[in-house]
Amino acid sequence: MEQNNQEQHQHHQTLTVASREDKKHWYDKWYKKMLLPPVILLIICLIYLFSFYSNNGDIIYKDSSLSGGTTITLKAELDVEALESYLKENIENVNIRKIADISTGKQIAILIDSSAEPSVLKPLVENFIGYNLTNENSSVEFSGSSLGRNFYKQLITAVIISFILMSLVIFALFRTFIPCIAVIFAAFADIVMTLAMVNILGIRLSVAGIAAFLMLIGYSVDTDILLTSAVLKKRGDTVNKRIHRAFKTGIFMTLTGLVAVIPAFLIVTGLPDSFRQIFLILGGGLSADIINTWLTNASIIKWYSDYKKIN
Amino acid sequence: MVKITFRVWILIIALILALLMIYPRFQEGVAIKSVDKDYKAFEIGLRPGMKILEINSIKIDSLDKYFEVTSSLLKDDSEKRISVVTKEDSFIFLDSNLSAITVSEIPNSNIKTGLDLSGGVRALIKPVNGSLTDLEMSDLIDITNQRLNVFGLTDLTVRSAKDLEGNNFLLIEVAGAAPDDLESLIAKQGNFEARIGNTTAFVGGDKDITYVFRDATQSTIYPAEPLGDGSYSSRFSFTITLSPEAAQRHADITNRIPIDPNSGGQYLLENLTLFLDGELVDELRISNGLKGQVASQISIQGSGVGTTPDAALSEARAQMHKLQTLLLTGSIPYQLEIIKLDIISPSLGETFTKSMIYLAFVVFIIVSTIIFVRYRKIKITSAVILTMFSEMFITLGIAALLRWNLDIAGIAGIIAGIGTGVNDQIVIIDESESKDNFSMKEKIKRALFVVFGAFFTIIAAMLPLFWAGAGLLRGFAFTTIIGVTVGVLITRPAFADIIKQMGER
Repeated sequence: MEQNNQEQHQHHQTLTVASREDKKHWYDKWYKKMLLPPVILLIICLIYLFSFYSNNGDIIYKDSSLSGGTTITLKAELDVEALESYLKENIENVNIRKIADISTGKQIAILIDSSAEPSVLKPLVENFIGYNLTNENSSVEFSGSSLGRNFYKQLITAVIISFILMSLVIFALFRTFIPCIAVIFAAFADIVMTLAMVNILGIRLSVAGIAAFLMLIGYSVDTDILLTSAVLKKRGDTVNKRIHRAFKTGIFMTLTGLVAVIPAFLIVTGLPDSFRQIFLILGGGLSADIINTWLTNASIIKWYSDYKKIN
Repeated sequence: MVKITFRVWILIIALILALLMIYPRFQEGVAIKSVDKDYKAFEIGLRPGMKILEINSIKIDSLDKYFEVTSSLLKDDSEKRISVVTKEDSFIFLDSNLSAITVSEIPNSNIKTGLDLSGGVRALIKPVNGSLTDLEMSDLIDITNQRLNVFGLTDLTVRSAKDLEGNNFLLIEVAGAAPDDLESLIAKQGNFEARIGNTTAFVGGDKDITYVFRDATQSTIYPAEPLGDGSYSSRFSFTITLSPEAAQRHADITNRIPIDPNSGGQYLLENLTLFLDGELVDELRISNGLKGQVASQISIQGSGVGTTPDAALSEARAQMHKLQTLLLTGSIPYQLEIIKLDIISPSLGETFTKSMIYLAFVVFIIVSTIIFVRYRKIKITSAVILTMFSEMFITLGIAALLRWNLDIAGIAGIIAGIGTGVNDQIVIIDESESKDNFSMKEKIKRALFVVFGAFFTIIAAMLPLFWAGAGLLRGFAFTTIIGVTVGVLITRPAFADIIKQMGER
């Protein structure tokens, strides 16, 4: 009886080991192929951005804070479509969005964005609503077109400098070429995919929106650092197990981040537009990061550890 | 019970200091920021700094309420009895409205909010051609400060701002509700010139003009009169005192001008024309009696036009106020342009602030919940909640200490900073709970490698924002960096200690 039990127990153990080995086998067999989807996605995004650039002369849609013009935020409830068509009769470049209460649909504020100067836009809006725009019922933000262009150029420079500084930190941390390049490549892919998403959604980026991209650069590499240090610095377990454990921690980190971003779109209303833009970009970046960390970066580092025979 | 280690003590002390810095308090009413000297409200004794509690027996408990009451006063232009109860005193006077007063929320704490939340005006100004030297910039800052002070504004920042390309700008920020005609003051060269014929008699600034009368006895606005085309015009006049040299120059010029024969000997042939930045303000006849006279006091006149008598009056008042200010402060020797002008409504800012506090709260609840769902341990969850809260609180404390203005992007930065904080804690928990054979100390050390790695990449990524775009995004970079620094230096070590103790038991 006892012996039988022991045998069964042993048998059970062999089975678990076998299934674990199967699992290992699965990742060992597939990891190189897992590189393919993110790379294809990245290429599609790059092609999209390239064609976007040749159609629009730029890689993003810019709002008036970057291209020059006026944004009026009006605290009122009114017929947005009528206002839009009225303004479009008179000036060329107008965009209107509303900030509404999600549960009741009640308008909280209306955003009017145009390349026109306040001296042109204000009287038109006042004409339509039938009262004067004052400090109490509205905000008026104006950026000169030369300043907007200047800001844009500088923010793009800032994004590039930020990316370079981040890369330097990564090299200082790990000091090995391929793993560092893998992290930097993943961060690059995060930015490209998020940028494509923002363009597909037709969002006109503001100064704050570009700042969010800088934050994304810093924010998206933490899971890559987790993964890379798990593979390079820990000994005692197999590489697959270490990747798996890093994955469990990292995916939870990213999901927590994503869940924290959601209320800004589904629950809480009346948030400033710039604030939501920052959150949207972080959300997009985090989603892209799941693919780029756990498919791209993980596969490269696994490949590297196989090649270097790291255990 | 968790043993209070050295690192936990540091956290506790940091929290107490942050509380002292923020210094939360609860007050009613709205604060007066400025009172226009030309109005009844000033005459009767209302002054900046007073706290309005009631207007016409209606309790004022928020900015929204204040604007509701004052805009109901604006519905008709007639003079009415207005009673204002402030914390200091109560006032009753007759006026058509309260537009002489600008107000702001009374701060509930030492945390200062940026313009996009508190409302106000921000302007970036640069010379039309080229750039300014440091000396020219400091002159420009002085003149602008003077003008705005003369105008009656006190809560303002006037400084230079540089961008990544080395361009320098003049940055002006006026907090709270600012008068509507502010933009006509800040970028005006203010070149005032009084000409007789083609000769300059005197110019604005203290070299020629030693005093500008602004009290009711020597500065007057006359009742509006119809212009015939349906609009109205109201004249104003005020007296200025000329320096002896300017008065002598004026006398020399008039001495040379013959009397106009068509005026019956009453006036001189040439007129006194007043120009502001090349635009004609007014043209006045010079009476015969002034010919060759050294007159040290001269009357400056002009007019305001509007579609109603009241509009004409208030336009005249605004014009006079502007002219007085520019005459007093002199001119700026180059042309300026406003390249960015944001006029932000305080009441919109209030809506935004409330929404963001609500959002922070919702995010807090959601993150706490999923941490609990994942780890199923009250102790760990409460440690994470405590850390999130401490991090936000200490960051706000530092912002209050440095008198940093928290703007919308800054708050986004704080929330994102807390996000990295939560991430770091997840790394620490997972590492400490892992079942491999390393010591707890070793596990925490490894977790901290990831934590510090992430910290340095965030810092590196945010640094360029300190200079890009004339530093307007500095708030975002600043709060993010402070947030993550507080995280790695204060809360993370304390959290690691707490988790270590949990793991050892």
